[in-house]
Amino acid sequence: MNAKQRQLESRRGFMQKLLGGAAVASTAAAVPVLTNATSEVEEKQPRNKHYGMLIDTRKCIGCHSCSVACKAEFDVPLGFTRSWVEYTEKGNYPNVSRHFLPRLCNHCRHPQCVDVCPTGATYKRHQDGIVVVDTGLCIGCKYCIQACPYDARFLNPVTGFADKCDFCIHRVSNGLDPACVNSCVGGARIFGDISDPDSEISRQLATNPVTVLRPGKGTEPNVYYIAADHSSEHENKRGWYDVRVTTHRRDKKRR
Amino acid sequence: MHELNWGIHVILYLFLAGLGAGAVVVSGSVLLRKGGFGSSRFAVARCGALIGPIPAMLGTFLLVFELGQPFRALNLFKVINLSPMSIGSWFLALFIVFSLLYAATFLPSSAGPGDRLARIRRTLAWICVPMGIGVAIYTGILLGAMPARPFWNSPILAALFLLSAVSSGVAAILLMGVFFRRKSTNPAIRDDYHNSAYLLTATDAIILGGELVIIFLFLLFAQLTIGDVRYAVAEVLPGGQLFLPFWVLVIGFGVFIPFVIEINEIRPRLLYGRVFRSRLAIEVLVPIMILIGGFTLRYVIVVAGQISSSAVL
Repeated sequence: MNAKQRQLESRRGFMQKLLGGAAVASTAAAVPVLTNATSEVEEKQPRNKHYGMLIDTRKCIGCHSCSVACKAEFDVPLGFTRSWVEYTEKGNYPNVSRHFLPRLCNHCRHPQCVDVCPTGATYKRHQDGIVVVDTGLCIGCKYCIQACPYDARFLNPVTGFADKCDFCIHRVSNGLDPACVNSCVGGARIFGDISDPDSEISRQLATNPVTVLRPGKGTEPNVYYIAADHSSEHENKRGWYDVRVTTHRRDKKRR
Repeated sequence: MHELNWGIHVILYLFLAGLGAGAVVVSGSVLLRKGGFGSSRFAVARCGALIGPIPAMLGTFLLVFELGQPFRALNLFKVINLSPMSIGSWFLALFIVFSLLYAATFLPSSAGPGDRLARIRRTLAWICVPMGIGVAIYTGILLGAMPARPFWNSPILAALFLLSAVSSGVAAILLMGVFFRRKSTNPAIRDDYHNSAYLLTATDAIILGGELVIIFLFLLFAQLTIGDVRYAVAEVLPGGQLFLPFWVLVIGFGVFIPFVIEINEIRPRLLYGRVFRSRLAIEVLVPIMILIGGFTLRYVIVVAGQISSSAVL
């Protein structure tokens, strides 16, 4: 019996005890019905996943095909992006370089947007860790847009609701990769279940030096980078070398 | 330039809700306290109670229509969670309801101390004061709750907004007094009027002094920190985009000059026990300055929070 099975067994035992306790309080006739029903559900219920992404910026060529695929997939209104690529140019001639930084929602472990949402419209799905917006509840107050340290959210001008990357939930729930991963020319993006130690992304995370964006904000992102350049224009104040960040977004400055 | 997701509607709301809440808090406190204002207590309480709900409702109206889909706002009341906006909107809704009821008890022409509504008026005041403090303070918590916005992410912002709200409330009551209470020819009422003006002015001076201390601490600690907060506070320091509105309109015009004038006004009675006679020009100008300062304070803070950002990616 491996660790996973044991975990499943103990969870089922817990569920049965819980339901047993509830059943004592309920009528005798309801007992077999309840326990039968749950054990069937338990067997069908897959293990909870936690999706994440690893972006190897060494393989990124800054072609924006991820941004375009995302726009096409979701019909994102003109001027807005769920997924985008930033260019960081730095140095003074002849010592110069340019780096590409693909960006998207980080589907954080502690999403600030979820904490501040007054209606519970934004939440983190327990079954796969994806942070989603329930447009049935969203009121368009823009609090989540303020709270996101990554500027990953925007107010969709067509629907009037908060909008952002959802890891292509409609694709991944059917076994496909997200559109940006699928279209990546350089194969820079690896998408998968981080909670499964045998997945490709988990192996790559374990065997490479990786970073996340703005770790100091305590959000614990689930989008990891290999060889990301974290330079920002604030460094220009030192006057040693120039840094220029091009966001390719409507909001020209990186927040 | 950064996009302002929260613009003039939100800024006006923060100011108006604070003003309304402040006026009702002052009104309720004056009504409930025992001494000091003597027979003018009721008149001061009536001023505050009748002003209060109007800006609060106006601000809420602006906020709801800023959403673009006004009826969606009802979704706020389907749940209650720990989001400052969720708690705040419940506070605001209850505040509007109870402050309207409270104002209604002052409306009958027979309204006066000890009339048949006195008991219910006191009960409503007991409800309205904590509600009003809740509305005034949550606006600061709302902004302060986000590490992503280093300029706002400070617990002292809530205290600053509370004091600024109460100060605006006192200013509104003083201003209303000029229009509706000053003209009386009855010498007893006039004495009462000047007595209440003295107490309101003295209260306001203390609150403005508190605001100065809080702004000083805010700037001091931002400047003592290294990193995001220090970069953010640079927006209101020399060389920042909001340096002039902050130092001239908020600190100078809105807090410091009114503070000095008010201290100067109350000094003869406070120190030497002379008779206090409030001067019309000061009574009109100082509240207007305080209200302009209160609005500009919200403006500077809401904009500065959005144009500043974290330094490190």
